[in-house]
Amino acid sequence: MVDIVPLSSYPSYIDLLPSIQTCNITNLPENYFLKYYLYHALTWPQLSFVAVVRPKNGYSKHTAPGGAATASEQYPKVVGYVLAKMEEEPTDGVAHGHITSLSVMRTHRRLGIAERLMRMSQRAMAESHRAQYVSLHVRMSNTAALRLYRDTLGFKVETVESKYYADGEDAYAMRMDLTDMWMDWAEIERKDRLRAEKEGKDADEGEEVGELGTEKEKEKMVKVRVGRGLGVGDLVEKNESQTQA
Amino acid sequence: MPQPLSSKDASLFRQVVRHYENKQHKKGIKTAEQILRKNPNHGDTLAMKALITSNLGQQEEAFAMAKEALKNDMKSHICWHVYGLLYRAEKNYEEAIKAYRFALRIEPESQPIQRDLALLQMQMRDYQGYIQSRTTMLQARPAFRQNWTALAIAHHLAGDLEEAEKVLTTYEETLKSTPPVSDMEHSEAVLYKNSIMAEAGKLEKALEHLETVGHRITDVLAVMEMKADYLLRLDRKAEAEVAYTALLDRNPENSMYYDALIRAKGIPDNDHKALKAVYDSWVEKNPRGDAPRRIPLDFLEGEDFKQAADAYLQRMLKKGVPSLFANIKSLYTNTWKRDTVQELVEGYVSVPQTNGSTEGEANGDNKDFLSSSHYFLAQHYNYHLSRNLTKAMEHVDKAIELSPKAVEYQMTKARIWKHYGNLEKAAEEMEKARQLDEKDRYINSKAAKYQLRNNDNDKALENMSKFTRNEAVGGAMGDLHEMQCVWYLTEDGEAYLRQKKLGLALKRFHGIYNIFDTWQEDQFDFHSFSLRKGMVRAYVDMVRWEDRLRQHPFFTRAALSAIRAYLLLHDQPDLAHGPLPNGADGDADSAERKKALKKAKKEQERLEKIEADKRAARKAASTKGGDGEVKKEDPDPLGNKLVQTQDPLKEASKFLTPLLEFSPKSIEAQNLGFEVYLRRGKYALALKCLSAAHAIDASNPTLHIQLLRFRKALDGLSEPLPPQVAEVVNAEFQAI
Repeated sequence: MVDIVPLSSYPSYIDLLPSIQTCNITNLPENYFLKYYLYHALTWPQLSFVAVVRPKNGYSKHTAPGGAATASEQYPKVVGYVLAKMEEEPTDGVAHGHITSLSVMRTHRRLGIAERLMRMSQRAMAESHRAQYVSLHVRMSNTAALRLYRDTLGFKVETVESKYYADGEDAYAMRMDLTDMWMDWAEIERKDRLRAEKEGKDADEGEEVGELGTEKEKEKMVKVRVGRGLGVGDLVEKNESQTQA
Repeated sequence: MPQPLSSKDASLFRQVVRHYENKQHKKGIKTAEQILRKNPNHGDTLAMKALITSNLGQQEEAFAMAKEALKNDMKSHICWHVYGLLYRAEKNYEEAIKAYRFALRIEPESQPIQRDLALLQMQMRDYQGYIQSRTTMLQARPAFRQNWTALAIAHHLAGDLEEAEKVLTTYEETLKSTPPVSDMEHSEAVLYKNSIMAEAGKLEKALEHLETVGHRITDVLAVMEMKADYLLRLDRKAEAEVAYTALLDRNPENSMYYDALIRAKGIPDNDHKALKAVYDSWVEKNPRGDAPRRIPLDFLEGEDFKQAADAYLQRMLKKGVPSLFANIKSLYTNTWKRDTVQELVEGYVSVPQTNGSTEGEANGDNKDFLSSSHYFLAQHYNYHLSRNLTKAMEHVDKAIELSPKAVEYQMTKARIWKHYGNLEKAAEEMEKARQLDEKDRYINSKAAKYQLRNNDNDKALENMSKFTRNEAVGGAMGDLHEMQCVWYLTEDGEAYLRQKKLGLALKRFHGIYNIFDTWQEDQFDFHSFSLRKGMVRAYVDMVRWEDRLRQHPFFTRAALSAIRAYLLLHDQPDLAHGPLPNGADGDADSAERKKALKKAKKEQERLEKIEADKRAARKAASTKGGDGEVKKEDPDPLGNKLVQTQDPLKEASKFLTPLLEFSPKSIEAQNLGFEVYLRRGKYALALKCLSAAHAIDASNPTLHIQLLRFRKALDGLSEPLPPQVAEVVNAEFQAI
């Protein structure tokens, strides 16, 4: 039985990173250092998910060396994953998510695993990061993937990116709107203010924390941080070019 | 004190620093040299030059310069700081910490030095030191939230959960108003605090906290998971049921949610009817899902099982789900269920035309159903609990006949040959599967794996190279190393080990060892990065994962194989020159053996020459391109240096020590530990492995032989053990 679990939020399955990397390099020609997976897991822990085969006797929590668990219970077999992120410097200035990599082992297809992984990630993008849309690239020859994105999930082809892949194949750049899954942050904040007033606390009414204000602030915040990407930033650039080279 | 410079030179020095920060290294060195012409002994300038030189990759030169700089100006914090940075670049963290401490003593207020020290303390897990550094940093800049969060992390990882929570609360209390929902740093810090409460066992408090803040935390799924978990652990069953129902609504494909839901509902294990009803309701809600259909097969019995299995199998076979057998086989420990499944599927293939549910459907669908069923039976008869290889072959051939293009069917045929023990045929059949879909890397990987199992390393690499970046340094193999393709390196190394090509085998296992070092190193940047990003829960989980990194089965397997290779090398030192023909390793002085050895040496030289020529050709080609960064070629691609070690057993410890530390429950690890320690004459340690193995599995056959060998070894000692050791050994040995 295949379970869909989060990679690095709660509960954390970060121990599966090496197996996710193996799943990727077994299935796809576009590969990354483990650090690039770490970078996703630690920057957007809400967005990536893993498909694992449930061990016969269930899962066990990670224990200190010498703990009772066997390796197969601690390191279940990974048969699929979605590695996702938020675009850090969106050229269109709109906050949006991006699917860095998605694959399911050939032996575990036709179970709807890829669809489930995508839906989980998309929802998290909308809820956690207010992504307007999610984008991805798909090989033009990959009809199965195209069917999933377009027919099952509702993606639309945005453009064709010529020679996107290292072997010279073109890619469809696809995207899908996510705003219908947004949460009403203004409403949450309004209710919080009301409750605070009721409790007689200083609700700080002078400062309006409307939706517009928060959006601006968020964008500003993002820009500053990206600029200081240091070591990890270097790595990202390297890998991005590698994928697209 | 810093040595004074003229105002012109001082401004030049500031330029050097700026050039360094902007990574304009050539300009930096030029400017530094300009200063040094007038002030040849200026320590700070020399130190900066050393730092830039190090960044250009010339470590030795840089170190010489930095030492010179220190000699010139022992009291400069810059000189000490640079000295520390050079050690850090070399990954000699202990020396780096010492140097930073000297620098800090001279310049206690320096933020950059304090920060660099803190990062290393974290990397080295010096939590007390880290707490100290973080406290100082917080005092210097208390307005930054990340300084508070960092101190909380320090306390948390050091095991002081109360203090960690307190630090986070203290910061929260300085907030005049609640930050907007969009403030993810806040959202994460709040959830982090909540997870600390839960970790401290304060579930009531954590739940209460979550109920007041949870609605405004943007990681919605995490909040739902935490809440459900707390509720169930607090035995608040009705609420837990609601919480797990909500989780299942979000993701019906997580069997752990069903487990929890059943517990929350308080349905006893043997009330199959009630259990089935719960799962059925989820099938209804989510007709396309697998979990609620599959789970009941685990507990249902008798006619109920048969009915449910029939429906499940038919549905999946019609859909042509390739993983159906993988999903069913765990039932086979129950022999009745195994036989029932067999009977059912045999029924589908024997009388397909009278099968009610397929009646009236198009011929094509029926054909697919039939081929899926044969495919299932092929896997069924190939499985160790229901093996009948003749039948397996019959069924797979029928499946292939019906669907000659199905890659999975052809794959199974290869697996059947593997179980026949015919690895050559297995590799051949898997290669056929690969040719059915040459654009698919999965089947390409499988074909390569089967070629490796057949000890055909060259063909395997040739296959792999259809998907690797062959322009990488070292070609396809170089790319597989760079992309950390552990599975391939492991299989490749094990294939070489079987062929007694120990140099190449060791080369691969060391390659994996180095990859794990890299993975451990990878965390370094996140000590600062994650604080800036504010995603601290994931960060803390990462730190803890890194601490148990080498528990991973990938490491265990490679380490076991590496130790086997070293043991073989120790027992047959001639293998350092390559594999010898059978029988030649018998009589030590026979002419035949000498001849074989000579031949092996010649072969080794020949291979080395080929490799050297290849390297030269690549070098010539790459200088033509001439675009800046030249990556280093591996000077020992065949592992000849590794295999020519004087002390294979000592080298083996490099793998054995972490193996025994992180996988002490692996009986193979204990078995091999014994072999190494026995040969090294370390009897107490050898005995420790025997005891550990005995505790894991007292009936392990290897253990029993080892016990006898241990007794014999002790009896045959030319010099008796020191009395104290002997006493302990005897007492412990008796116990086993």
